[in-house]
Amino acid sequence: MNARADMLAAIRRALPGERNPRTIGAAAEALARESIESRPQIPGADLTEAFAARLVSDRVVGASIDRVNRLEDAPGAVRRYCRIHSLDPVLALQPDPELQRLDWGAFEIRPPTGGDETLAVARARWAIAETGTLVFHSGPESPTLLSFLTLHHVCIIESSRILAHLEDYADAEKGAPVPRNVNLITGASGTADIEGALVRGAHGPAFVHAIIVGALGQTP
Amino acid sequence: MPAPTDDAIVDTFKTRASAALADANLKLAIDRTTRTARAKREAAVAAWPGFPEARDLGRRIKDHVIENLDHYLLEFERNAQSSGAIVHYAASAGEACEIVLRICREAGAKTITRSKSMLGEEIGLPHALDAAGFTRVETDLAEHIVQLSNDRPSHIIWPALHHTRENIAALFRTHHHTPQNSDDIIGMVASARRQLRPGFLGADVGISGANFLIADSGAICTVTNEGNAELTTTIPRVHIVTAGIEKLVPSLTHAFILLRLLVRSATGADITQYTTFHCGPKRAGDRDGPEAFHIVLVDNGRTRMLTEGLGEMLRCLRCGACMNHCVVYNEIGGHAYGGVYPGPMGAVLTPVLDGLEKSRELPHACTLNGRCQEVCPVAIPLPAMLRGWRDKSWAQGLEPRTQRGMMGLWAFAAAHPSLYRLGTRLAIRAIRLLAKGGWIDKLPLAEGWTRHRDFPKPAAQSFFEQYQATRRKQD
Repeated sequence: MNARADMLAAIRRALPGERNPRTIGAAAEALARESIESRPQIPGADLTEAFAARLVSDRVVGASIDRVNRLEDAPGAVRRYCRIHSLDPVLALQPDPELQRLDWGAFEIRPPTGGDETLAVARARWAIAETGTLVFHSGPESPTLLSFLTLHHVCIIESSRILAHLEDYADAEKGAPVPRNVNLITGASGTADIEGALVRGAHGPAFVHAIIVGALGQTP
Repeated sequence: MPAPTDDAIVDTFKTRASAALADANLKLAIDRTTRTARAKREAAVAAWPGFPEARDLGRRIKDHVIENLDHYLLEFERNAQSSGAIVHYAASAGEACEIVLRICREAGAKTITRSKSMLGEEIGLPHALDAAGFTRVETDLAEHIVQLSNDRPSHIIWPALHHTRENIAALFRTHHHTPQNSDDIIGMVASARRQLRPGFLGADVGISGANFLIADSGAICTVTNEGNAELTTTIPRVHIVTAGIEKLVPSLTHAFILLRLLVRSATGADITQYTTFHCGPKRAGDRDGPEAFHIVLVDNGRTRMLTEGLGEMLRCLRCGACMNHCVVYNEIGGHAYGGVYPGPMGAVLTPVLDGLEKSRELPHACTLNGRCQEVCPVAIPLPAMLRGWRDKSWAQGLEPRTQRGMMGLWAFAAAHPSLYRLGTRLAIRAIRLLAKGGWIDKLPLAEGWTRHRDFPKPAAQSFFEQYQATRRKQD
């Protein structure tokens, strides 16, 4: 099979001339930097407030928020969520060491990739204020499917991990090993495939709930 | 090459378009979706003051990649391979399908889930999988509808745009195990979720496309709202990606810049619910993910487009804004175009994919109003490219004989001013005889016009006669 060689030869025939990887890299770098000038503005100076406001705005589908002071308060917030939605205290918990050491005594904990649970609880790696996005990296302590199989997805996010723009996420992870999956999750699963009308809860969760940890005392 | 006869090729497109125009249900379906799409896009763009600058930046990023395509292709290949991916190259649609089928057979696959990919449609993958005897499960809701109704996508973002909700309700009632109780859209979506969940969990191979290929990491990016892509790519043992080589971007940052443009232009949202980057197979310790990860990089005419002056079309992000805003698409819908890609971008791409001889009518099915270029997030000069195809079609002698004859006659007259003036003088006097009360309701040789609206009665004298009369008076 010489499709690869043919393709490269055809490209080189169409684009003659020497290309210097260093020049190409510099040009790409310059283009990337330029986006600072055109990024959507983030209202206010506080990223936590901006993220929280964005998540419950009409630009994000099917999301809600809660705020707690410390990570230790997260199980209580999950209990609150279960009460509001009349859910049994049964959950699939992300095998994240920080989450595992919390007191989940009030809950029945199921394996993270069982596939048949109603509620999943996970700690997001980052959040992005621009879009109201939660970011997950796959790995032994964070299975991908946990974010997609259940009806309710509760995401715990520390306010120090909230970034302004999408590009800031790329910068924050520059040079770090690339995980198998990076999942940028913005609100609940939805579809507009029938007459363009947006409906939530297609194949993934119908409810996304962010528990924002920290900075509670600082807000007026 | 002999000039084709008028009814051989002209009629196929014309028949399809006429049938579409006569279909009131189709018009209703198109209207309901594209109207929403246009309004939402407009609001999203208006809410982003940086849009014009971002659009120009997006265009330059795409151009930079196209100008250095070999560099980025090799960089992507290197990084994808070091992530554990197996990279394949396919020169044509047939080759791409063969590679996918071979991987599926070697994996001992029976059930294959697919998340929506226009490249998959372009290479004819759904048909190839069916023909090879695999159980194909389309997991995108629209593709699921298309699969159930056994037809083809009619839009690149909303493949089932040609179905009204009433159609879809009936379809689900016939095919789903536990269909919706009421025919509201929420009930139908829930029915599809129930129907497709077992398909996801039991699949052996998952096939996706890619919205971006990230050169500096070897990752591929999928952009969806439903979550079906992630279930398609994470659960099965094997994940196959089929992607056109124009999807390359230098880095994650470049992908984000283009993502903003893509999503706003496609659905009017700021970001889709799920933007996922997939890099290689399952790692040590991972609890989920596929054991094998294949990427099939497809040419299928793309390098030829570079050579033939169609390089700007490789900027296309497949957002569908051009068709949502096209007056022709909105009248005839996607199927009438006859190719995989409809609308203005399809009218440029189909001659590349299917040959100009088969698709020469498409560049003509355009009013050149320029709206497609105006709304294109990477400023592809679609009208100029369509004119380019018209020129090529003329130069290759593909235009029908009557049209060539009429143009020849006109060209001869245009080169002989006195003959031309005599002609127009006679013509307008003849046409005036047909008028009643300032309007003509039936004009010979122009029945297509007068069937839908009256033709105005021409002035008593031609422009040139009036001009000369005025000049004589002034002298």
